[in-house]
Amino acid sequence: MAGIRLEKVSKTFDGNITVIPELDLEIKDKEFVILVGPSGCGKSTTLRMIAGLESVSSGKLYIGDMLVNDTPPKDRDIAMVFQSYALYPHMSVYKNLAFGLKLRGEDKAEIDKKVRSAARMLDIEKYLERKPRALSGGQRQRVALGRAMVRSPQVFLLDEPLSNLDAKLRGEMRTSISKLHKSLGVTFVYVTHDQTEAMTMADRIVVMKDGVIQQYDTPKNLYHNPINTFVAGFIGSPRMNLFSAQVASEKNKIMLRADKYFFEAPSELSDKLSGYVGKEVNVGVRPEDIHAEDFFMGLEKSLKIEADIDMAEMMGAELYAYFDFAGARMISRIPSRMNIVDNERLPLAIDLGKLHIFDKETGISLRV
Amino acid sequence: MKTKNKRLDLLFYILLSLLALVFIAPVLIVLSNSFKGQFYITDSPFTLPDATTFVGLENYVNGLRKTGFFSAFLYSTFITVCSVVVIVFFTSMAAWYISRVRNAFTKAIYYALVFSMIVPFQMVMFSLSKITNAMNLDNPIGIIFIYLGFGAGLSVFLFTGFVSGIPNEVEEAAMIDGATPVRMYFSVVFPMMKPIVITVAILNAMWIWNDYLLPYLLIGNKYKTIPIAVQYLQGGYGSRDMGALMAMLVLSIIPVVVFYLTCQKYIIKGVVAGAVKG
Repeated sequence: MAGIRLEKVSKTFDGNITVIPELDLEIKDKEFVILVGPSGCGKSTTLRMIAGLESVSSGKLYIGDMLVNDTPPKDRDIAMVFQSYALYPHMSVYKNLAFGLKLRGEDKAEIDKKVRSAARMLDIEKYLERKPRALSGGQRQRVALGRAMVRSPQVFLLDEPLSNLDAKLRGEMRTSISKLHKSLGVTFVYVTHDQTEAMTMADRIVVMKDGVIQQYDTPKNLYHNPINTFVAGFIGSPRMNLFSAQVASEKNKIMLRADKYFFEAPSELSDKLSGYVGKEVNVGVRPEDIHAEDFFMGLEKSLKIEADIDMAEMMGAELYAYFDFAGARMISRIPSRMNIVDNERLPLAIDLGKLHIFDKETGISLRV
Repeated sequence: MKTKNKRLDLLFYILLSLLALVFIAPVLIVLSNSFKGQFYITDSPFTLPDATTFVGLENYVNGLRKTGFFSAFLYSTFITVCSVVVIVFFTSMAAWYISRVRNAFTKAIYYALVFSMIVPFQMVMFSLSKITNAMNLDNPIGIIFIYLGFGAGLSVFLFTGFVSGIPNEVEEAAMIDGATPVRMYFSVVFPMMKPIVITVAILNAMWIWNDYLLPYLLIGNKYKTIPIAVQYLQGGYGSRDMGALMAMLVLSIIPVVVFYLTCQKYIIKGVVAGAVKG
């Protein structure tokens, strides 16, 4: 069993294209860590460096206590599941699972035992004699997981393993992978651009942008305490609403002015905001913290606004209402029973206790 | 609209049938003439054998006796089979390297090989013949390496196109599984190349089996392959035995046609894959 440690790791391609400038990351033993970020943020490159499929340009990479910068992939005691499954197309499922064990010189009886046990666990026992082309996407993905499992590696690396599956299957496989992690009790490093996968499966999430870690925290903390506007906008669907507001001081209170509205800033941020008086800040509020129901309209710590809803998307249990506010595009999550139609003027209440304030220049949250 | 399409289809059928007939006619003419007395062949080459002209297997017996067909068949088979195996083995490996290791060196090798496809044989044949003699390659084993050189261009081109279409991830998975490059090539990469291996094998087998000029120049004096042996029937023994010539042509066509028909479904797949993914 082993954790992973990256110390000042950088990756440069062709001598001049820097994908990862300098990365420090520590993944604990048996932890399920998900690397998430937009395309080109360096999450797959990081995973491939851990796998040994890409060299480390500088810095140190440890798996357990072993420095593995120059260790070939086969000696790192890792297993990897690829987005395209990467099964050997000419081999049966059984041979796909057994290939790695055979190369390690394990005896036939032992290989057979391990292959059958993995197949039973993943419910692919009846497909052992089939070729990959005769399997569905979900079955192929399970074979790919099985191939990783049979070797009992100390680290599992998964590169967008569910992105080729349909939504229903993705949901099922999410549960299967989470269960697998619990039952195997090894370290999982998982790359995805799908934040639902990240939020539902991970112990901790690494949010990356341009090769730099923006925040490394639990899903709950990432959602409730995003460190900057990038994380605030990236985690959560629909994304957090962000608008500009002017900081002002009135009667010893720190106030914010946005559009025609003048409201009190969160009291716990007063100290920090006092240095911003006369300046602009970015204010963030989650769509579920903008309410339309009567109950919230009466709340004391809320900002009542009149919103011209120009589009309402019916999502089933809830409804996304789109409107413009303080020069920004905003979304509110409203219970769908409220029956809102397009182009309706609607009184809304923004929960002032849930506001996030970010520095306009750096984008950093003032809650940090 | 439908009637128009049907008419167009019919027109295509007729045109393609005519085209097929143009291609197959020479083979049928050779086959029919191989059963006719040799004087009737020159008099009326396009008629089918009848009671007067039919001579049974006489032409075949004559041909086999005069040409030493069996030894020619063995030389042709040995040279073709060995050359195809050597070409497939070396060029597939080279193509794998070229498409996976992309640098100035592999690029240069690739373009040099592709360029070799457009150099006409006649341009190099005399210098080649001299060098071959000097290097003692003018024998059935030596000629295999000459064929490797001539076959490498097209074969590497086709293999490279195909390998570029195979996702790298499969090889990476093999690497993580613990495969060495040699093991990866034999256990993972080569089996995945099956369609293009068959295409390359067919194309080279047909060309090498039918090749006349190269074996004639290099080894023709001592070792006669089928095309050379058949050629000797034409004036080599004082008179031209057209009957025996036709019979031997039929016998020489049979192996390559059987090989082609067995593997024909792969040839189209392979050529298309090589063409579009290059």
